[in-house]
Amino acid sequence: MTESTAPRRGAARAASRRGTLVGWALLAPALAAYIGFVVVPFGMGIQYSFYDWNGVGVATWVGFENYAKVFTDATLLASIGNAFVLIIYFTIIPVGTGLILASLIRSMRAGAFSTISQAVLFLPQIIPLAAAGIAWSWMYAQTGTINQILGWVGLGGLARPWLADYGTALPAVGLIGSWVLTGLCTVLLLTGIGKIETSLYEAIRLDGAGWWREFFTITLPGLRQEIAVLVTITVIAALSSFDIIYTSTQGGPGRATLVPGISIFRIGFTQSDVGLASAFGIVLMVIVLAVVLPIQRLSRSSR
Amino acid sequence: MAIHTPRGRRGIRLATGLVATAAITGLALTGCAPGTSAPTETTNADVSTELTTEEVNLVIADETGFPVTDKLAEEFTKQHPNITFTINRDTFQNLTANAPKLLASSTPPDLIRLPTIGDTVKDGLLANLDPYYDAYGWDAWPASQLAPLRMSEDGIRGSGSLYQLGLGYSITGIFMNLELADQLGIDAPPQTMAELEEDLATAKAAGVLPIMAGDKDGVVNFVVQAAMNQYADKDEFMSWMFNEPGATYNTPGNVEGAELIRKWADAGYFPSDINAIDYFTFTSRFSEGEGLFTFNGNWAAADYQKALGDDVTFFLVPPINEGDGHVAMGAANSFSVAAKSAHLDEIVYFLNWIHTDPTARQIIVDVTGASPGGDPSLPLPEVESGSLIEKALEMSAQIGAENGQVDFMANTTAGIYAGSIIPESQLLVTSKITGEEFVERVQAFYESEVG
Amino acid sequence: MIVSRTEVVIGRILLIVVLIATVLPLISMISAALQPADVNPTGLVWPSDPQWGNFVTAFETGHVWTLMVSSSLIVLGVVPASLIIATLAGYALGAMKVKGSRWILIFFVLGLTIPFEALIIPLYYQAQGLGTLNTQLAVVFPLLGLYMPFSVFWMRAHFVNVPTELSEAARVDGASVWQEFRSIQLPLAMPALSALAILLFLWTWNQFLLPVVLIADPLQRTVAGALTFFQGQYSLSIPLLNAGALIIITPAIIVFLIFQRQFIRALLQGAVKG
Repeated sequence: MTESTAPRRGAARAASRRGTLVGWALLAPALAAYIGFVVVPFGMGIQYSFYDWNGVGVATWVGFENYAKVFTDATLLASIGNAFVLIIYFTIIPVGTGLILASLIRSMRAGAFSTISQAVLFLPQIIPLAAAGIAWSWMYAQTGTINQILGWVGLGGLARPWLADYGTALPAVGLIGSWVLTGLCTVLLLTGIGKIETSLYEAIRLDGAGWWREFFTITLPGLRQEIAVLVTITVIAALSSFDIIYTSTQGGPGRATLVPGISIFRIGFTQSDVGLASAFGIVLMVIVLAVVLPIQRLSRSSR
Repeated sequence: MAIHTPRGRRGIRLATGLVATAAITGLALTGCAPGTSAPTETTNADVSTELTTEEVNLVIADETGFPVTDKLAEEFTKQHPNITFTINRDTFQNLTANAPKLLASSTPPDLIRLPTIGDTVKDGLLANLDPYYDAYGWDAWPASQLAPLRMSEDGIRGSGSLYQLGLGYSITGIFMNLELADQLGIDAPPQTMAELEEDLATAKAAGVLPIMAGDKDGVVNFVVQAAMNQYADKDEFMSWMFNEPGATYNTPGNVEGAELIRKWADAGYFPSDINAIDYFTFTSRFSEGEGLFTFNGNWAAADYQKALGDDVTFFLVPPINEGDGHVAMGAANSFSVAAKSAHLDEIVYFLNWIHTDPTARQIIVDVTGASPGGDPSLPLPEVESGSLIEKALEMSAQIGAENGQVDFMANTTAGIYAGSIIPESQLLVTSKITGEEFVERVQAFYESEVG
Repeated sequence: MIVSRTEVVIGRILLIVVLIATVLPLISMISAALQPADVNPTGLVWPSDPQWGNFVTAFETGHVWTLMVSSSLIVLGVVPASLIIATLAGYALGAMKVKGSRWILIFFVLGLTIPFEALIIPLYYQAQGLGTLNTQLAVVFPLLGLYMPFSVFWMRAHFVNVPTELSEAARVDGASVWQEFRSIQLPLAMPALSALAILLFLWTWNQFLLPVVLIADPLQRTVAGALTFFQGQYSLSIPLLNAGALIIITPAIIVFLIFQRQFIRALLQGAVKG
């Protein structure tokens, strides 16, 4: 740490130059950590992606071959497709539920019920995603709670091992994501809706508008910023999901729940194909950027 | 930094590491290839079969749930108090993913559970045990048992130098629930595949689950490969598992075996939630009396016996024609010594001790139910007469005598099990793909990995 | 405010449904954890003979104590250092407005969207090069870097909103940068800092991918990373797995319940700013 005790008065320019120096000194550790452990590895990843390398032995330059493989290998493409399907469960369901709840309740009077609901809604945010995967694997098991409840309500015929059924595995995994994210979305949107001028609501109600029109003309535009933020966070969570799937299905049955995160881990470490795994990692990052940047732009221009 | 390691060397290593990272970054800019240069073969000209008298701590990396290394280490330390052990455990999946990196690290474990050799020999990560083979006289051990543990310079398994040894040598077969068999009027284990199929049909018709199996983590492949073994040419199958050039998985025998599995899947011989069942669930459900048959290894004998008492027996998968030789998967619970181990002599002494010391051999049998291997002229450990373990040891001996042992196809390459065999078999046993498609897809993956 | 009664009622009912759905998996875990360890459990049951011993077994076989210590070491390695480094940088960018701040900020913000999976392979070989592989440092260093974009962004957002008059007044009084920073800026930054500390604690404690890949010995990982150790399916049963997972999530839940208000505020602000 630069620590200066020299007198402060002097030429303004000198002060500003000194300020710049101190400023850069203050920035240096942050830049070092960021460059050292994010930018440099990113550069290494790009480098690896052009090689055929098993991580230990001699590496061979292969140009864009690994990238070509990412875009032609049906298994890898399918895993990207699955990640996009997860957006339904990680983004649309949580944000949708949150919006409906927020607009119906609109404001929660401070009180025991509100405190308890907030705490409960936040629980899934507190526990590790890996634990969520374990908890839900058990919920979804043949003898698990979901099938049991279906039996209670007379829908026992629907019972199945949800994570092992091709038709239901991906939605089932996705709903774990919904479980984790719905609380966050609801509470954030409730907070947001509380900031919208109540006079706007009173005006439109006096105008004879129903819930529906009110929702679209006041609530939705008023929450644009919050929605953009939530969509960004949840879309990134969907596209780069790993923990939940690693501890629940590991990509199965077949490859029904295979996502890029699991593929990268498996290709890079189990199959020791570092080049291909790195290329896939770079591609995943580009995809995330390509999806997230437009959302950011939308939220900005709408302000 | 808030973390202090007791080892002072960390700071120095960190400093050199930073330099190394800088160098790597520099390389990135100049476009040099990552990785090291070709490995240099370490030849251990002088090996010692005498155990040191110094204090030595040996590190073993093993998978979770296999306590045999704990027991062996404990006994060895009892006999040789100057040798202590540190045993690190991780799940099979994590361990196999990490193994090559662990071995290449600057502080590799001395001994590591390594199901597939993969590139590790090519990269010079494993200690070549040939000098010890001569020094200890392991030529008296069954050659067929050691063959899968060898690898040639071209990376082909089955011949060449010895790189692994087994902590127990397993054999797989079929466990039958005798109480259910009794109810169904089945009085003896099937002698042919046709008889086996009859029994399966009988069970199904009576509403008894014919085969308890699971495929969340691929264990149904005990059944898939058991079927293939009976139709395939054993040597051809082995040459593929050993990665010999030109060898293929796509043989008529393998397809026939896979089609049989598809037929069984269509007939509903497997549990309906098979893809949700993992190893633990399938063994515990069979132990709870669900399923007439289950395909598993001799290592499970002790647990099944404990749960089912006298109501369970073990036999080899029957051949197609009565009287033909049996073929069964079996493998060493294979461990390799890190080339960089600082205690080569000590760890190999430990391995030799496991194969020769009566107490150690007894531990192998008692804990794993597997055969201890080693010199066949050594007395076999004592087991309770009439027990399932005794049966399992008999079967092991029988396969040895018939020379009918094949490796597990999951060990063919490092990535094939998780990358192809598990997902494709999940599709096969739920009738989503045909046996032929299964075989073709696994072969395609194999080519992409080996080719 | 006019809110029709039916809407409120529907809203409340829906909220209660969501609340039940939220706690159900946790209750289901407790139910499984209390069933006998050596059989396959069945759904939600009120255990007639609750096996509290499962928690003891899971605690011992899972080496939970060792794991907690290891997790704490990683948290101690990441959180204080991140706070200090990010505060300095946030101050430089937000209050001092160093020349080029805008570009530096953009440079950091780009890092916010990087999925960890994209970096995990190089991070592995980097740790190997540094000789930190298989130690807690292998996770601590990358997390410092990976959390830095968010932390810097967060602290800058705070400092940008501190009125410049305050620091100008201090300078006129002849205070050094350091004095001004310590006596004026730091106290004002405490709420932002504590919120950031909570977020970083949670993210580090729950970090899964990095410890699984970078630390081979499960006992040196974070508790979350060690969950796979519990999944060692050959040895542990479903009841024990659930018991272990419950033990592992308990500390975070306790901390959460104590600092609930701060937690929720931190997470909400974190979401908005992130």
